Amino acid sequence: MDHRNNKMGWLFTSPYLLYSLIFFFGPLIWSFFLSVTDWNLIAPTFNLVGIENFANALKSPSVHSAFWVTYKFMIIFVPIVTVLATAVAVLVHGLPRFKSLFLIGFFLPYLSSGVVSSLIAKGLLSYTSPMNVFLRKMGLDIDWLGTPLSALGIVGLILAWKFTGYYALILTSGLESIDKEVYEAAAIDGVTDRQRFWRITLPLLYPSLYTTLILAFGVTFGIFTEVYQLTGGGPNNATNTWQMEIFKQAFTNLQAGYASAVALLASVATFISIFIIRKLLEIWGKRNGWV
Amino acid sequence: MMRKSLGALLLAAVAATMLSACSTGQGSTESSGNGGASGGVTTIEFWAAPNPTQQAYWQEMAKAYESEHSNVKINVSAIKESPTSEASIQSAIAAKSAPTMSENINRGFGAQLADSKALVPLDTLDGFQDIVKERNMNSTIEPWKFADGHQYVLPIYSNAMLFGWRLDVLKELGYNEPPQTYSEIVELTKKLKDKYGDQKYLWAKADLADPTAWKRWFDFYMLYNAASGGNKFIEGSRFTGDRKAGEEVLAFMDDLRKANGLLARQVTDPFENGVGVFTDVGPWTFTTWKEKYPNLKYGDNFALTMPPVPDGMDPKDSKTFADTKGLVIYASATKEQQAAAIDFIKWVYSDAANDAKWFEQTNLPPARDDLKTNDSFKAILDKQPELKPYAENVPNAIPPMDNAKYNDLQTIIGTEAFNKVVKGQISPAEGWANMQKAIEGALQ
Repeated sequence: MDHRNNKMGWLFTSPYLLYSLIFFFGPLIWSFFLSVTDWNLIAPTFNLVGIENFANALKSPSVHSAFWVTYKFMIIFVPIVTVLATAVAVLVHGLPRFKSLFLIGFFLPYLSSGVVSSLIAKGLLSYTSPMNVFLRKMGLDIDWLGTPLSALGIVGLILAWKFTGYYALILTSGLESIDKEVYEAAAIDGVTDRQRFWRITLPLLYPSLYTTLILAFGVTFGIFTEVYQLTGGGPNNATNTWQMEIFKQAFTNLQAGYASAVALLASVATFISIFIIRKLLEIWGKRNGWV
Repeated sequence: MMRKSLGALLLAAVAATMLSACSTGQGSTESSGNGGASGGVTTIEFWAAPNPTQQAYWQEMAKAYESEHSNVKINVSAIKESPTSEASIQSAIAAKSAPTMSENINRGFGAQLADSKALVPLDTLDGFQDIVKERNMNSTIEPWKFADGHQYVLPIYSNAMLFGWRLDVLKELGYNEPPQTYSEIVELTKKLKDKYGDQKYLWAKADLADPTAWKRWFDFYMLYNAASGGNKFIEGSRFTGDRKAGEEVLAFMDDLRKANGLLARQVTDPFENGVGVFTDVGPWTFTTWKEKYPNLKYGDNFALTMPPVPDGMDPKDSKTFADTKGLVIYASATKEQQAAAIDFIKWVYSDAANDAKWFEQTNLPPARDDLKTNDSFKAILDKQPELKPYAENVPNAIPPMDNAKYNDLQTIIGTEAFNKVVKGQISPAEGWANMQKAIEGALQ
């Protein structure tokens, strides 16, 4: 019986296994191979260059910037999106009616095209936009996309706008799963609203919060469309993300081998970072007795 | 046993379904697997630029050619942009599914392909010299010669990039014609700023501060070609930039910045909306203007000129950048396909009417020396006088460098010199020196 179940198990998981084999492991092995060559995919011959591509990437200022820019985006994006998503979730959860309607409303930006939202942002931040004309009259002349800090902030805000509704959806389902009797008991004990949030809601929301935080940290390793559309990685590489760097090397400079090395370095950086972040989040939860 | 076989069959079916989903459908045509020849018919795959106008033009040409040559079949399709047309060609070559020929190839990408032995040197094919002669393009094609002495790309069109001036604003400042030298332009900028303050700038364009490689074609190279008389900047893998001309260009930008004449910020259509009074203009712009800015009339409120020159130079000697793309034939094509492809090109360009049709449909000036004098183009130029200065200056336009590292090299021009000078972060002389050092390093 167990033996037969095993076979059925393999059979039913085979589509996924095949999919992974073709679209994940295959390209991964191909990428490893390319990374140790100087091949541009066009030339009839190529040379095996060992770790030269990796060594060059580790010395490259634009790869350094891609590494640091990811963490800069993390510092901007993760707190903003977490606070906003939690606020939206708490507000929607407290509504007497039309919760789903509001949640769908907040979720819509997630479905919107990054290209379109970036173009809208470009228009809003234009030198001649009403906002900038007004600011200049107030004596504030800000080059939003031409200044490193504001360019990072703008991209971070666009991403936060996009992902808030999605994370709020996850957090709302977390809030819905908290037993109302806990709140009722707390109310009888005279717990204030602030205590209620910090002592009851947040600890019981921790599993959902953990999920959204991991997702949010993960997003920062994959930023591309907004940066490509708004800044092209500038000014002075201030918004040059991993994806942007890989794109430039692979599709503009046509250096397939080098781009593969950068992509592999990016995946290692992502894996290690997410691993550490996960551990830190678990320690945070354990220290507070939430898990 | 039966169950085992069924399991294996199911697994194979799933695998086959998934693999077939990956297929692009290419390779199922009669051209595959037999070198493009079947039953005496040679099939060639032609990849046209990914825009409907050019695709339609080449389909029409292919159909007309086929009607006269029953032994050749030409399949015209658009180059896919996934994510760029260059990347699509790269993938096709890697997957051994490159077309016989394609258009829309700039000289830099042509150099990358030629460097990788992916292109046929066109001058080695019978009939190439006839094309150059019959199309009257001796002068235009001359600067297209690669460092190894071969011609890998046949230019189809050549936009001699010009600068547009807002005549209406110039007239308000007391000018009837655009200034032509650096000092005249700096003087105009001062007058403009005195009158309009931060409402108007000489050159309002976010790209001035953007290091993206291709953006240098439409600012630095236009000015540099004018100042240097068309110096090659990089020849083969050697930096041959004209320091005097380069520093003059950078000093000009620095003077404009000091006069508060540059706005390197995002503005919606700055020239069209009058925020900037000077900008690079390509002939493709006019179609958009007709729809979006019908108020812009050539000779009335805007003018077109060759790039300005440093003081002491004759503006009549000005050169500019050629935004130009052309045709290539891939080395992976069979000899029969290569011969059929060159014959097709020869057939198209043996009749000036085909170039006239191209010009009329795309607004892109054919890369030939006689645009101004050949009667075939007269009606088009009379109907659209704004195209005349482009036609006149085709021989004065210098194509991009033929170095496979052109992306890196042109990015350096921005990051080390041009962008920094525009932002006031470096002196022109220091910028040029840093740029030269970085380019020489990259060329090694």
